[in-house]
Amino acid sequence: MMLKVSDLHVYYGAIHAVKGISLEVNEGEIVTLIGANGAGKSTVLQTISGLLRPRTGSITFLDDDITALVPHKRVERGLAQVPEGRRIFLSLTVAENLEMGAYTQRGADTSVGMERAFTLFPRLKERRKQVAGTLSGGEQQMLAMGRALMSSPKLLMLDEPSMGLAPILVEQIFSNIVDMNADGTTILLVEQNAQMALSIAGRAYVLETGQIVMQGEAAELSDNEQVKRAYLGG
Amino acid sequence: MAFLSHLISGVSLGSIYAIIALGYTMVYGIAKMLNFAHGDVIMVGAYSCFFMVSRYELPAVVGVVVAMVVCTILGVTIERLAYRPLRQAPALAVLITAIGVSYFLQNSALLLWTSNPKVFPSIVGNGSLKLFDGQLSISYTALLTVVTCIIIMMALTWFTSKTRMGKAMRAVSEDKGAAQLMGINVNATISMVFAIGSALAAIAGILLCSAYPTLSPTTGSMPGIKAFTAAVFGGIGSIPGAMIGGILLGVIEIFGKAYISTQLSDAIVFLVLIVVLLVRPTGLLGKSVQEKV
Repeated sequence: MMLKVSDLHVYYGAIHAVKGISLEVNEGEIVTLIGANGAGKSTVLQTISGLLRPRTGSITFLDDDITALVPHKRVERGLAQVPEGRRIFLSLTVAENLEMGAYTQRGADTSVGMERAFTLFPRLKERRKQVAGTLSGGEQQMLAMGRALMSSPKLLMLDEPSMGLAPILVEQIFSNIVDMNADGTTILLVEQNAQMALSIAGRAYVLETGQIVMQGEAAELSDNEQVKRAYLGG
Repeated sequence: MAFLSHLISGVSLGSIYAIIALGYTMVYGIAKMLNFAHGDVIMVGAYSCFFMVSRYELPAVVGVVVAMVVCTILGVTIERLAYRPLRQAPALAVLITAIGVSYFLQNSALLLWTSNPKVFPSIVGNGSLKLFDGQLSISYTALLTVVTCIIIMMALTWFTSKTRMGKAMRAVSEDKGAAQLMGINVNATISMVFAIGSALAAIAGILLCSAYPTLSPTTGSMPGIKAFTAAVFGGIGSIPGAMIGGILLGVIEIFGKAYISTQLSDAIVFLVLIVVLLVRPTGLLGKSVQEKV
């Protein structure tokens, strides 16, 4: 098992945002966390990447307990996150953003990783010398994903990659996710666009107000009446 | 010729402000705090050099190196003990702490070295370069100051644009959370910026006291405030802004002294700052990056 989260409780001050979540991700999988706005999906991801600290519970990554590890050490172990809202470095160039993604690859040649990012996202190659703040929203999302890939992560977590993008771009971003997975990167995907997420994922967890209310094969969940009503608009 | 001479004095004084302002602006950029103790680190640097050169009669180079090492350790220690525990605290708490550290340093200096001013020897002697049949004389101290300032500017530009650590510094300045997700050690990066800023403060302190040779525990406070003004003037957070702001401030101050009034020169400096901020609230080179949706 690649990632195992056990009975995670996370608070924002007095607010109990995540109430005892357990989940697992196996090597090679695409797993998605779906749920409404405020269900606690992003909180779970940020706790796994270490930006937030859980009150109780544990996170095990590749058989090591990483619950108390600082975020940058988790990246060194092969855990990368594409944060919600992309959060690329707007004042750095596209190439510099990618270099930052490879920050943990001390002394290594970044050109291999960069070529891989450019193969996945050819648009970035054209704009490599441009300041990232001048990119369009879709290009910024591609940069955020390319940047996260630069550390050659074993597990890539994506937080709402489709947010704010035109439908045609959403299609493209999701096909990029499938490509990255085919290249050997395990994916944990948080999405509000449940339909798209379930279409590419193998397994899914459904979150409601900080708890997992359903879990299973993505295909089964797409046919589930309750899920359809609540998240698939029908 | 008098004009040229004033201009050179102004650029030289401004270069000192610029070197100090770099410390303010880099720390502000990365830690989003105003380190009001920065001016007092300058004073500690000057004392360190003074003791090496005057008391132990070591060569000036040793004095400079010792001062830089002392200030680097001091700056990093201040950050570690006083500011890091307040990383999540409200800005006001951090500001008050910085003022507290400033008083702590001044009063420690008072206790250790008394309030009697020391006469600081210029590290390059009191000679000067004579040009135009001696009509224009430029002191070696002024020359050294300007050259040092140019070297520092080039080195920092290279550092922030070409090196891995320098780029990480810019990344952390922009978004600490995202920088952590890249695997950047944010605390180590902030410590590094304090180290660079404090080492520069040592250099500034030595240059300042070489030009204006009285050294006392409050030596750093006024230049510190002026350099802070320069950093805001140029656009706080911007490295070239601190450079331009510092030099302009020095030139305005000296011209104000020479052509308007010696007493009013500081008032003129701050008046210019107010006007600039009214017209351009972000300073000369300050930028506000807009997020794309």
